[in-house]
Amino acid sequence: MRDPRLEPYRAPAIAFAAYLVLQAASAAALFALKLGGAEGVRAFYLGSEERFTAAKSLAGILEVAVPHLVAIPLVLFAAAHVVGFARALPVAAHRVLVAASFGAALAGILAGFGVRWVGPELAWLKIVSFAALEVALLAWAGLLGAVFLPRRAAAPAGASRRAAGEVAR
Amino acid sequence: MRFLVQPAAAPRARAPVRIFLAFVALALAALAAQRFLAGGLSPAGVEALYLGAAGGEGLPAAAVWEEVHAGAFSYGFVLFVLGSLLAVCPVASSTRTALVAVAFAATAADLLAPFAIAAAGGGGALRVATFVAALASLAAMLVAVARAFGREGGDGGA
Repeated sequence: MRDPRLEPYRAPAIAFAAYLVLQAASAAALFALKLGGAEGVRAFYLGSEERFTAAKSLAGILEVAVPHLVAIPLVLFAAAHVVGFARALPVAAHRVLVAASFGAALAGILAGFGVRWVGPELAWLKIVSFAALEVALLAWAGLLGAVFLPRRAAAPAGASRRAAGEVAR
Repeated sequence: MRFLVQPAAAPRARAPVRIFLAFVALALAALAAQRFLAGGLSPAGVEALYLGAAGGEGLPAAAVWEEVHAGAFSYGFVLFVLGSLLAVCPVASSTRTALVAVAFAATAADLLAPFAIAAAGGGGALRVATFVAALASLAAMLVAVARAFGREGGDGGA
């Protein structure tokens, strides 16, 4: 751990990282069970005679979109905040990951509306943005793990003092 | 959220933290009431939900994953914020780590218990036990944070 001030946050940060992985895993399971591939995405939003399902209504899509518009930014904000504070990434890489994460989340939410009312070919956007958000969630979890999980080899005695000095400067 | 990683700012955070803690307490009480009304506080009720009552079908896999997905957000976020607040409370490091570790284990077990019940074809008592453990462990964290942030004139633990 580069910054000794982070030590008290080790346990909650690791628990949060584990829950990020569980969120990503459960999202993947739900995507596979409910949507599947591009054809499944189209059938989910536009309805399917085979599945005896009707096209999604605006209320139906909003019912899923609204909680996600609150929950995903909160989770990404918290993860990015802690990773940024811990200086686990160079500034430019951190910005790219933040932009990619929020962009993928927004694209994934909007793609549902797009498939329903713009064009069925946007099913691919839904799949790609979902996959990107999954990778982003796992990346944030990995970064939290890299910062907060205990290292096997102990750092030299002066390392943490030097790190503390850098932070103070 | 800056106060979460800057203990010196804890006194200014006291009022919003108290309100947050009140909402967490309400959320835990509401969750307990919701589980009670759904029969989730008795082994038979849990088995009826996940395995189906009187030969009926149990909860579909997608519904169970939806429960896990929503729970991972709410349990994960509450645990993270309470754990971060606990970091600026005058609690021994070992106690703090133990509180977070137990709460994490209990909440994760509570989310994943339905899969074990479905695989075993029974064992509803497991979900009752994991829920009680999850609730108790989160309540213990809440009390520990409230003791520090509830004090008037104190430094909120910083």
